[in-house]
Amino acid sequence: MNPHIDYHALAPEIVLSAAIVVVLVADLLFPDRDRWQTSRIATLGVLGALIPVLTLAADGTDRSMFGGAYVVDNYALVFKGFFLVVTYVTILLSSDYIAEGDYYQGEFWFLLLTSVLGMVAMASARDLITIFVALETISVPTFVLAGWRKHDVRSNEASIKYYLIGVLSSAVMLYGMSLVYGVTNSTLLTDIAQKAGSLSGSMNNLLIVAIFLTLGGFAFKVSAVPFHFWAPDTYEGAPTPVTAFLSVASKAGGFVAMLTIVYIGFYNSGNSWQPVLWALAAASMTIGNLTALRQTNIIRMLAYSSIAQGGFILVPFAVAGDSRPAAASALEAVVIYILIYAAMNLGAFAVVIAVARRTRSAEIRSFAGLGQWSPVLAVLLSFFLFSLAGIPPLAGWFAKFVMFRAVLDAHTSAAAVIGVIAAVNSVIALFYYAGIARQIWFREPTLDDRRPLEVPPALNAAIALCAAAVVVVGVYPQPFAKLGELAHF
Amino acid sequence: MNWFDSGWGLTAAVFLPGVGMLAVVAAPKADETLQKAIALVTTIATFGVTIALAVSFNYDKSGLQLGTDKSWIDVINSRFHIGLDGISLPMLILSAFITMLCVIYSWDHFPEPHNPKAFLGLILLLEIGMNGTFVAQDLILFFVFFEIVLLPMFFMIGVWGGPNREYASIKFFLFTLFGSALMLLSFLALYFIGPNTFDIPKLAALHGAGIVHSTQNLIFAGMFLGFAIKVPMFPFHTWLPDAHTEAPTVGSVLLAAILLKLGTYGFIRIALPILPQAARDWAPWIGLLAVIGIIYGALGCLAQRDMKRLIAFSSVAHMGFVMLGVATLTTFGINAAIFGMVAHGLITGMLFFIAGSVQERFETRQLDRLGGLLTQAPKLGWILGFCAMASLGLPGLAGFWGEFPALLSAYNPAKGISGNEFVVFRTYMAVAAVGTVLAAGYLLWMLQRVAFGTVKPEWENVHIHDVHVPEWIAWTPMLLLIVALGIYPNLIFRVTDGTVTRLFGG
Amino acid sequence: MLDYAWIIVFLPALSFVVILLFGKKLPRHGSEIGIAAVGASFVLACIAVVQWISRVENASESGGFKALGKGFLAKAGAHEVVVKPVVHSVTWWQNGGMKIGAGTQIDGLAVVLLLVVTLVSLLVHIYSTAYMHGDRRFTYFFAALSLFTASMLLLVVADNTLQLLVGWELVGLCSFMLIGHWWEEGVNSDAALKAFFTTRTGDIGLMIGVIVTFFAAGQTFNIVSINEAALAGNGGHAIWLGAAVCLLVGIIGKSGQFPLHTWLPDAMAGPTPVSALIHAATMVVAGVYLGARMYGVFWQGFSIHAGGVNAMALIGGVTIIIGALLAFVQDDIKKVLAYSTISQLGYMVMGLGVGAWTAAVFHLFTHAFFKALLFLAAGSISHSGSHHSFDMKRDMGGLRKYMPITFATFMIGSAALAGLPPFAGFFSKDEIIATAGHSGYTTFLYIGLVGAFLTAAYMTRAVYYTFFGEFRGHGEPHESPPAITIPLVVLAVMSVLTGWLNATVIHVEKFQQWFEPRFAFPTDVVHPSFEWGMAGIAVLVALAGVGVAYEYYWRGVGHGATERNPLARAGYTFLLNKYYLDDLYERVIVAGIKGPIARAAYWTNQNVIDAVVNGVGKGAVVVGRFTYDVIDQQVVDGAVNGVAEASGETGGLLRYMQSGRVQWYAAILFMAVAVLSLALIVFS
Repeated sequence: MNPHIDYHALAPEIVLSAAIVVVLVADLLFPDRDRWQTSRIATLGVLGALIPVLTLAADGTDRSMFGGAYVVDNYALVFKGFFLVVTYVTILLSSDYIAEGDYYQGEFWFLLLTSVLGMVAMASARDLITIFVALETISVPTFVLAGWRKHDVRSNEASIKYYLIGVLSSAVMLYGMSLVYGVTNSTLLTDIAQKAGSLSGSMNNLLIVAIFLTLGGFAFKVSAVPFHFWAPDTYEGAPTPVTAFLSVASKAGGFVAMLTIVYIGFYNSGNSWQPVLWALAAASMTIGNLTALRQTNIIRMLAYSSIAQGGFILVPFAVAGDSRPAAASALEAVVIYILIYAAMNLGAFAVVIAVARRTRSAEIRSFAGLGQWSPVLAVLLSFFLFSLAGIPPLAGWFAKFVMFRAVLDAHTSAAAVIGVIAAVNSVIALFYYAGIARQIWFREPTLDDRRPLEVPPALNAAIALCAAAVVVVGVYPQPFAKLGELAHF
Repeated sequence: MNWFDSGWGLTAAVFLPGVGMLAVVAAPKADETLQKAIALVTTIATFGVTIALAVSFNYDKSGLQLGTDKSWIDVINSRFHIGLDGISLPMLILSAFITMLCVIYSWDHFPEPHNPKAFLGLILLLEIGMNGTFVAQDLILFFVFFEIVLLPMFFMIGVWGGPNREYASIKFFLFTLFGSALMLLSFLALYFIGPNTFDIPKLAALHGAGIVHSTQNLIFAGMFLGFAIKVPMFPFHTWLPDAHTEAPTVGSVLLAAILLKLGTYGFIRIALPILPQAARDWAPWIGLLAVIGIIYGALGCLAQRDMKRLIAFSSVAHMGFVMLGVATLTTFGINAAIFGMVAHGLITGMLFFIAGSVQERFETRQLDRLGGLLTQAPKLGWILGFCAMASLGLPGLAGFWGEFPALLSAYNPAKGISGNEFVVFRTYMAVAAVGTVLAAGYLLWMLQRVAFGTVKPEWENVHIHDVHVPEWIAWTPMLLLIVALGIYPNLIFRVTDGTVTRLFGG
Repeated sequence: MLDYAWIIVFLPALSFVVILLFGKKLPRHGSEIGIAAVGASFVLACIAVVQWISRVENASESGGFKALGKGFLAKAGAHEVVVKPVVHSVTWWQNGGMKIGAGTQIDGLAVVLLLVVTLVSLLVHIYSTAYMHGDRRFTYFFAALSLFTASMLLLVVADNTLQLLVGWELVGLCSFMLIGHWWEEGVNSDAALKAFFTTRTGDIGLMIGVIVTFFAAGQTFNIVSINEAALAGNGGHAIWLGAAVCLLVGIIGKSGQFPLHTWLPDAMAGPTPVSALIHAATMVVAGVYLGARMYGVFWQGFSIHAGGVNAMALIGGVTIIIGALLAFVQDDIKKVLAYSTISQLGYMVMGLGVGAWTAAVFHLFTHAFFKALLFLAAGSISHSGSHHSFDMKRDMGGLRKYMPITFATFMIGSAALAGLPPFAGFFSKDEIIATAGHSGYTTFLYIGLVGAFLTAAYMTRAVYYTFFGEFRGHGEPHESPPAITIPLVVLAVMSVLTGWLNATVIHVEKFQQWFEPRFAFPTDVVHPSFEWGMAGIAVLVALAGVGVAYEYYWRGVGHGATERNPLARAGYTFLLNKYYLDDLYERVIVAGIKGPIARAAYWTNQNVIDAVVNGVGKGAVVVGRFTYDVIDQQVVDGAVNGVAEASGETGGLLRYMQSGRVQWYAAILFMAVAVLSLALIVFS
């Protein structure tokens, strides 16, 4: 018998796949000078995929397929929408960058869309295999994207490193998953959850290892300390728009998978994953921040800062197992944090890209006096940085706030400790974010060319979008908070 | 004016500066006069609104009024709840008042790098934060406004500040941020351990019911750090002298006149009413730090050679008196504290204005290079003398009413303060009283070195312009107010007493 | 007028503002306004006095009031008729719903002071028009005078301790302004600061005293209530003792009592009219006035009725002697007068201390006139006689020939001060001494007599140096203009007459009858009747003082004692150095706080507290550097690169493939996973 297929539920994926094919074909047919058109097709594809997401949201009923392996509920929809929007912004970031680079463009969009397809699928995946497939669909294209600047050795290194780490981590994860299957003889998360409850001691230990290995795999994806060391090199080497995409979208992909697995699959065996995630969170925040203090290159700095931010996102996981209400507010916190983090991080990268068009450098020193020769960009960059630092009234404060809220909702000493660690870290973080603001505002410009910078419209649009999100959400967080509330299992 | 009294007036008082800020930012870069005009009009309008509020304020009612309570972030059930009572009204007016005068003062002396657009924009942004903090009745809302002031002040110090500005600005920023992080944790703890609400009046009405005593003390500790750093209380004060010394004149004025008050206001509005038990346990320690601050700040002043830094240190001492009043948990003490906040705002604000003008004329603030100001610029000299007298708490001027009732209250503090409160607080009273003499010491020595004596040779042939017109416009209201409040203190006590008695009378 | 006393205060205050705003533009630079205002206040004050007296008399008509003043009999009769003070007050501020008022309390004591202050101030105003003529800050000077007068009056009429405190401090401010009037010279501003600091140190006492009385009397600042509570001994004796001590400290600071008297002589740096005002009517008198005002507190606190010794009497007594002794070694005539003031204030405080309330206030009253007279006369001398010098030995001598009026008036003043009948000082001082004897304070009886002796002696010395012998100055000494001499004459007349208000010798006790409170006042105060013996001794002692001085200065008997007798020399130097008190205060205490202590505190601030802060910041950076350089770079990439170098491959993609980096990552990855999972199994 062939499974029932709900085409409405799959519409976003279908649209995206169609777009992918079109991009490929167009890329073959178009003459070189029209190749830039492909970016438009990609854009259309992404926005087109948003439509069914909205209709589904309007419809509102949860839809489940393939015996529960593939579910479309509010949680899925929130993230599908999120990934598509992020991709749209990424396209805005990339189009000029790619167009101006002397590299062949067509498949850039193809790869990007493929990766997004993986993410959109990930949001719905409720089965180990589906999750794995989705994760690989996300990762593989990004390996190539990371090495986009073919003639640049650093870019190649980035790509190779990232590729190898990705593969290795996938291997670990797969090993873990197979163990999980061996213990619970099911790949369906709901079944796993059931079985996990009734396990003998030795089996339980095995499950614990299995869970750990699985999560370890994800830890690489989200570049959590100590599985982070690939990130800075990769970020620095990859083309900046791709870096932005990696640090936001694919990271988010990893977190989404983690949420699904932890909340549906392993929730009852919290004692096994909670300490791991607690350690990962604490280490990521602390090491990430302390290391970021030392960076002289803004991309590397943002890389480490995103590691630290990842740590903040992991904090609620660390307390999710303590109680049902704690779990609820933890889930909410993670979702909200991811949404806000995406806005501010993308914004920061967007401005960096814009400024680098003039300075041709990512050294923090090269931002000196930006406030004088491009005040608007300077203001916006300061917005994004201080938002990352969590200063009201910029969106970041709310992300931090819900994170702390989840921590305190848990009422455990472990939670209290991680809460203090997080608090201290959020102060340390300010140090390097403000350090850049200092360069921008307090220092004299280093380069002679002080004409106001002209920024291509697409990039402007991207920056504007992020800035709007950061400010509006900062002052009136209710909409994002609402999304966070909706996105539960 | 129904719409006005039903919250729109108060909302306007908070967000009007925002409108002005956008307008200033939108104004063409070249047209500085326009930018100044916009800023001036905005601040005057805002001040007007606060006055209108004061007019429609019912002084016989001790509860909140003229406020509104709209939904804001339902998910964490935090609401946009603002309102006025006897404690917040004077602070709100003070804030709007000082900001207006600052804009007037900066009319024709902007610090380097000039850029009035950014400068005025920041001042207006700052005003949102300050006004908002004084009217917020929801912990999260309070927190947001409380934090909004950080960025503008950070940039004001960092961009327009003195030689050591980068260090001072980041120090100010990190210090306060650290405090507020812990403060936020306390708020959340209060939310979850307490009755799941951020609404300040509701929480205050419960007097910390249902929270274990020890937990109360912990939560209070968090708030204490948050507020004490802002005040600042010894030993968390070290950001203050640097920030003040480096900040541009207007920055120092706003910092001294309003920003420091956010901390003390936080104690009176949040920490004390919501956690009375913890407050009683902490009171002796707060009082101790307060009196240490009084003596220590005074000694610090005596050691200064830089006029502005001296004034900065004097703030530590004066806020010590305010906190001593707060620590007694009595109506006398709290009334005195609020009066002290207003008085210190006016007087120290004036002193910083003068320090700025002196620096502008002599390009130095070194006391040993100054002298004979009274011969070169008599009016400026006499104003300095007047403010020095006001600052040392001379009866008949505003400063006295912050100090004396505080001492009075320390003689018999509230019942139930832990330890042998009478011995402890009466000792504090005696020590603080000695502080008043030291205050006379450092202020009059400063006056003597700056104003008295003969002109130093290096300035003999320099023309020193006496008080400018913008200075007159900006200063006269403050000077008059200092006298008025000194002669008829009920101008403030009448406003605050009702609310204070309701919150701390029982 | 008793009901509108605030006008008396208001007029000078108003004139202060007006002079400040318009003074410079006026033909006489503001002096006219000051004189007009104070003059008006004076007239009103006189009306007040008359009204008060009639109030008392009318009261006394009804009920056996005539008994009053008949020595001990007074105790019986004095309190049958109660003449309450006239009190008016308005809300000043409020707390906890309790309204705290400010207002006027007019009674005998108040009207006396109103009269003294306004009269002396008026004369000083007139005098100054000539004396300060052409001064660079003429207008400002008159403004300050007005404010000075207003503040003192505010203090006098106060119906509550807080208002009293306000006036008290404002008086201090004004003397600061006027002592430092010529602030160009460091000496003057130093003197001004010294006066302010010293009095403010005393004010700690006053402030705390006000606070203690506030609570002891059941949360009120009202003076009458406080006195009542004190006399009733509410809350036990101890608290009132504390209150009394605190208030006494205030008096010591303000009224130049030992050991805080040192600012008073330096205050001579101010213009002479100011000295007159400060010493006769305003600043220093405030302290004694406080003592008289809050008498209930002192009566209860020091249990004055008990006799023997108490702090108040002791302070007063000591001050009498140390002040008088210092007056001997001064060359500056104003300093002589300054120390005589200290000594005379000692009499007043001692008087209060021994229960001689009326006598003390009476002495305050008479002293005001002859001390003002002496100062203004000294001023007249420097103005027209000695070219603005006050040095008796260098620039004076033989002036009696040149300035007869000044001479005559000065002589009257000196006689009054020396306590020679029939001048005012005799009556008041004698009454203090007598009461001391009668109420069990024999010690202070003797102190008083010694004081009388010394006073007579040093005034004789002063007169000798100033008016007798040959003129040692230069230029042409001549009599001063009427604006100066007229006030002298007026004051001289007062110095002769005022004494007879309470001439117990002829059973005139009007002053006591009119002005001694009969409400909230101790019931068992002693009013000794006149005794020829006592009075005779006092006079003899005074005459002896004159005689000895005459022998020494005119005849030169006993000259060179300091050269011959080491003990005398030691004493002389001791006096020259003012008992080394100034050195203690300025070199040790003030310099100590200003110097080492303050610097130490600041050092701590910069190098301890702030160091912690910066340390944390630096620490974070250092740790950051470590994490990055060591953990992040060396452990991982460092090792990797090491291998890379070892493998010696260079260039291009190949290197990254073969450099072993891959293996390294793999190794690290799997090691980490393995170790952690192992740990996990162990721990769960």
